[in-house]
Amino acid sequence: MPSSEEIKALVAKIPELDSKDTKNPLLKTRPSEGKLTGPTWDEAVKIVDPIIKGGKEAVAAVVDMLKEVDDGTDYKARYVLHILAQYVCRKGKDEEQSLLADALIAALPGRAKPIQGFLIRQLQVCADGKAAPAIGKFLLDKELGADAAAALLAIKDGAVDQYRAALPKATGKNRLQLIQNLGVLKDTRSAGAMKQAVTDADALVRMAAAWGLANMGDASAVDALIQAADAKETWERAQMTKACLVLAENLQAAGKADESKKVYTYLRNTRKGEAESYVREAAAKALGG
Amino acid sequence: MEQGKTQISRRGFLKGSAAAAAFTIVQPHVLGGPDKVAPSDTFGAALIGCGGRGGGTFSDLSRRHKLNIRPLAMCDVNLGRAQGYQKRFKGECKVYQDFRRVVERKDIDVVAIATPPHWHALISIAAMECGKDVLSEKPMTRFVAEGRAVATAEKRYGRIFQVGTYGREGYAQSAGHRATRKILLSGAVKKTDACYVRPGGFKVKQWDGRIDQPPMPIPADLDWDLYCGPSPLKPYTKRRTGGTHRDYWDYEGGGLADMGQHHLMGPAYAFGLDKTHPVEIETYAPPAHPECAGMWGWSKLKYANGFTLVLESREWGEPSGMKSKSIKLEDLSEQQRKIVDAAPEPEKEIGFGEAVKTRQPASGNAEVSHHIVCLMHLTNVSIRLGRSFKFDPVTERAVGDEEANRLIDQPMRAPWHL
Repeated sequence: MPSSEEIKALVAKIPELDSKDTKNPLLKTRPSEGKLTGPTWDEAVKIVDPIIKGGKEAVAAVVDMLKEVDDGTDYKARYVLHILAQYVCRKGKDEEQSLLADALIAALPGRAKPIQGFLIRQLQVCADGKAAPAIGKFLLDKELGADAAAALLAIKDGAVDQYRAALPKATGKNRLQLIQNLGVLKDTRSAGAMKQAVTDADALVRMAAAWGLANMGDASAVDALIQAADAKETWERAQMTKACLVLAENLQAAGKADESKKVYTYLRNTRKGEAESYVREAAAKALGG
Repeated sequence: MEQGKTQISRRGFLKGSAAAAAFTIVQPHVLGGPDKVAPSDTFGAALIGCGGRGGGTFSDLSRRHKLNIRPLAMCDVNLGRAQGYQKRFKGECKVYQDFRRVVERKDIDVVAIATPPHWHALISIAAMECGKDVLSEKPMTRFVAEGRAVATAEKRYGRIFQVGTYGREGYAQSAGHRATRKILLSGAVKKTDACYVRPGGFKVKQWDGRIDQPPMPIPADLDWDLYCGPSPLKPYTKRRTGGTHRDYWDYEGGGLADMGQHHLMGPAYAFGLDKTHPVEIETYAPPAHPECAGMWGWSKLKYANGFTLVLESREWGEPSGMKSKSIKLEDLSEQQRKIVDAAPEPEKEIGFGEAVKTRQPASGNAEVSHHIVCLMHLTNVSIRLGRSFKFDPVTERAVGDEEANRLIDQPMRAPWHL
């Protein structure tokens, strides 16, 4: 494996940011102080290939070069890690992909949170479901919960298990994110928890849960969503109405015509005011009226 | 005869005129009369996003689109900006920091959106969910899946949506471009070697990204969490806002995303690219940076019928080596010409103002604009992968390429979702 000095020398080969003296034959416009031009892919592969061949320790050596505050002074190390994440996703690089994901996961413990967030975002680019448990550990973290949830949502494989495991202990924004993401993934096993959440004290949770059930096309949620759509004439009413329309569309597409019709009929009959006439018309149109 | 209300709103008038069954007496000021504009012709209007493009986008409602508007709301996550805009209008115009409080107002009919692009789709959808029509700044969206969600909302709620870039209207007035469109949409041409090369004009270096930006204290009147919205919450730095947001993947996608919709609305009309998506995307660029859009050389977007769209930055790397080549009737066989002759003429394009009044789709409606802005997004996906990929124009997903799909449909921070 390359020595740490060799790793530093490789990273240093990333071109400097633009200065007025920058001479780059590929740059066909004026350089601009502090701006990024970057290497070619051929140049980049000569940097990252020895690093990935150097194994976990070589990747860790690059991670060690990251600074807690992203102010551009460690730009080359960040760029190299991101290039690695892209590189290992090429065809025929399954081994390298697995190695990089393992190396990034191994590098997570004990790092400053901003660095952990950066590493999680690289896992979002290159990792598969094997990384889910390691990322899932951060779902309840106040600062990193959203990054972890996003990475799992992008990876998909293994995400719902992590979300469901974390949900009972989650609070605040993290809880909201988990409910929302379970809805995005149409996790029907979470439908029970979602139905409870439709009457949550937190309006954002209510709306996320309603939309999640609608996105799943859960026919057993019809009554709950119709009731929720009676919210006062505010943002929540519009969102609950949307959930009803989405549910009705999904039920229709799934061949559940009666349940779909129930939702549309409710909306047509209850949106009597001029301000909601567009909802009434949408429902009427769907009913064939 | 039925006594009418003393004032009929725009919605009420438009519905009544569409299916008038009762005869209604209305008072003169409602009809308009001398020096009076009828409420039916007056639209409550809001601006969401009071930065550099806010004034232009909002004034387009009246100056370009000839809507008679009542400015009722100025909204910006930076309260000071919203207050600055509000001072331009009379007393009834209110200031907001949260767009949800704007779109839930019953008296607002039309919304102009001039926020950074990571908010364009969500606010457009929210406004349409609340019954408003929308004029949105370009680019329409920040990633592919957003555009489908906007088009779905436009259809679901029967609203009018338009992206504020108008090259399409100019192309539609050209007999030559209409003829090209008719040929390519007629079905007569199964395979073509036609090609359109757009050389430069993408402000690539201008928005490729300043890497050396340290975190800064958040200004007192800026709701930074709300500014970031669906995008990751990163430390505040001034360059992430106010025009220079264009540098960042989180909010836009460089000069390509900024300028592409301007340059391509017209050619997309001529070559029928607003009806489908490319099936293969290949780019030539440096490796992507994790935060900033960076440089790029060219993008080749190939369609199922053989047509190739080429975008060249002319700012990095050598050009693509390809040349534009159109398609004309004289290139076709007699049988193909018959098919073209029998095909319908391109539909009339109508502007946003006329669309709002007649409820017919606007020229730059969501479905059309989505197909065009996707050209930029798909190019950026290829750049961010560092390789080419295949795309299914029907499912709007990459084919057998989950890494590409992670960029085509990106996670959002709660409570924001499509």
